[in-house]
Amino acid sequence: MKRTTASERLARLLALVPWVVAQDGPRVADVAERFGIPEDELVDDLELLFMCGVYPFTPDSLIEVDIEGGRVWVRFADWFRRPLRLTAPEGLALLAAARAALATPAGTSVPSLERAVAKLEHALGTGAQDAVAVEPGQASGEVLASLQVANRERRKVRISYYSFGRDETTERVVQPWQVFSSEGHWYLLAWCELVDGRRLFRVDRTRAATVLEEHFEAPSELAPVASLYEGREEDPVVVLDLAPEARWVAERYPNEGTEQHSGGHVQVRLRVSSRAWLERILLRAGPAATVVSGAEGVAAEAALRLLAVYGFGRDAPAPGATPCVPAGTVTSRR
Amino acid sequence: MSGRSGVNRLERLVNLLVALLDTRRPLSRDELRERVGGYSEDPSNFRRNFERDKDLLRQMGIPVLAEPLNPGSAEDQSGYWVPRELYEMADPGLDEEELMALSLAASLVEFREEGEGGNATTAALRKLAGAGAGRTGALMASAAPGASEGSGDGPSAAVLDVPLGPEVTTLFSGVAGRQVVRFTYNGISRRVEPYRLSYRDGRWYLAGFDQGRAAERLFRVDRVEGGVELEGEPGAFDRPEGALAGPPPPWRLGDEPAVSVELRVDAAQAPWVSRLAGAGPEVVPGPDGDVVFSLEVTNWEGFRGFVLGLLDHAEVLSPPQARDKVVSWLSAMAAGSPSGEVSA
Repeated sequence: MKRTTASERLARLLALVPWVVAQDGPRVADVAERFGIPEDELVDDLELLFMCGVYPFTPDSLIEVDIEGGRVWVRFADWFRRPLRLTAPEGLALLAAARAALATPAGTSVPSLERAVAKLEHALGTGAQDAVAVEPGQASGEVLASLQVANRERRKVRISYYSFGRDETTERVVQPWQVFSSEGHWYLLAWCELVDGRRLFRVDRTRAATVLEEHFEAPSELAPVASLYEGREEDPVVVLDLAPEARWVAERYPNEGTEQHSGGHVQVRLRVSSRAWLERILLRAGPAATVVSGAEGVAAEAALRLLAVYGFGRDAPAPGATPCVPAGTVTSRR
Repeated sequence: MSGRSGVNRLERLVNLLVALLDTRRPLSRDELRERVGGYSEDPSNFRRNFERDKDLLRQMGIPVLAEPLNPGSAEDQSGYWVPRELYEMADPGLDEEELMALSLAASLVEFREEGEGGNATTAALRKLAGAGAGRTGALMASAAPGASEGSGDGPSAAVLDVPLGPEVTTLFSGVAGRQVVRFTYNGISRRVEPYRLSYRDGRWYLAGFDQGRAAERLFRVDRVEGGVELEGEPGAFDRPEGALAGPPPPWRLGDEPAVSVELRVDAAQAPWVSRLAGAGPEVVPGPDGDVVFSLEVTNWEGFRGFVLGLLDHAEVLSPPQARDKVVSWLSAMAAGSPSGEVSA
């Protein structure tokens, strides 16, 4: 069992005394429930408070605590007539939680939460209404709400999902096990009937979601999501050489290790689950990232495909690219 | 520490706090030893325990002030007290329904990297519950520690998780108290008037006025080097109306001269771009359900990265210079191995 520290016990005692005084004899069980404290610990702490007071500790200078018939009275505790003010971490945590909740489909229409946030911001002295903003993730409110409903009612849902890695959109029926936001994105953990396996979906890449009539049985216990990263064991490893201005690649993506090289260059080993994912990295980094092994020619091919969108190809070579455009590698999709 | 001595310490802490709140003038250590009781007779033991107690009270956010007792004299002993007006929470005036809403919100969110203080939302909710006038029961049930403790990795019962490191917390103090903050960013030491904190794409951002550069700036909190320190007095500046409204999209994250760029995006990708762009840009539907966005670009690199991330689902239409820049970037890559032309 977790041991409750002296400071935590003091903190909760200071919080509850003003309320107990104002309530004039609340039930001990109600106090325990309201403040989330086990009843026996609460009684211990209250009995201890009984011994406290101010020098010279004569009866009239001590806090009075009566516990009788399951109710509790605290008197002569005027020092603690108000709770201790919120600390910055407490204020921020609560405000951030409330702001995050307000940004979810479920929270947007809760007037009591909006009022609470306004009062809290005023009390914290942030003044402006928008001193703290929390955006749990970019997602269509409609899709998110549908997924949450389906999850709550244990109903299957048909989604149209854009796979960022494979750069394609598929229709599938899934059993929505869990909807959550992590690191700024909304996720759906589900059993996918299309691939007959457990999958993690990004809600912002879910284009449409239709809640179906059919119910499903959720597993009693969910194995935790090991990683939000989509790379897997069986994925091939690609080694990239990164100039200093492309170091963000190593910082931003989970990788299998880095190696420092001269001139501030870094070699990074990435597990690449899909070609489109790697293409994006290479296109963005440009000449600052080069493939050492595992994906030769990917950057050039991707660049050629994009050039086709701009009207350059076999018949209309792009400026400067003339010598290296082999016929047949241009795979325009438009 | 045994359970019994823990209890003694709690009792001593309450008595110390009462003594500090009860006085109207700073009390010396010796006066406190006499008034509090429970301290050792041995001077060095007492001194050590008193310092520990005082630190603990301060860590809890209790304003234990230290003031010189005999200013100007050779003995520079400090006196201590807790002014009531600094200790007490102003009544936020929350009704029970509002408290419940906050409690529910807190139960949805799990904070990572919280400091030693344990569960900050639980502590905050307890204080607010103590200030409330109603008598609703299970206010804390959902937020109590243990009720929602997951395995520690992966998503738990909480629906959201948000990192809450010490830098963010200190910056929040600065925002709330309108106090200047000092930190190093991009290798430059800065003094910033913090206006606003926002969490987006899994990161905290600070918007504020960079005094050294005399301009409003946006900082990524995870890029702050070393710690954050508060400087000077609270209330040191006024937050302007309409301070930066959170982190802009990547193409606005800079201060290059604004260029209006037309970008065509395939129908399937358009909703995502639209959400990212926010309400600002002009949007014209094109043929085949394509959408043409008119974007004000003040960070070319950010824009280029964003456009290339859309692969062949997007095309820069105008101005010609912007289109040419994308084409020559792609051409250089298509030209094959760029090993010989690594740019500076």
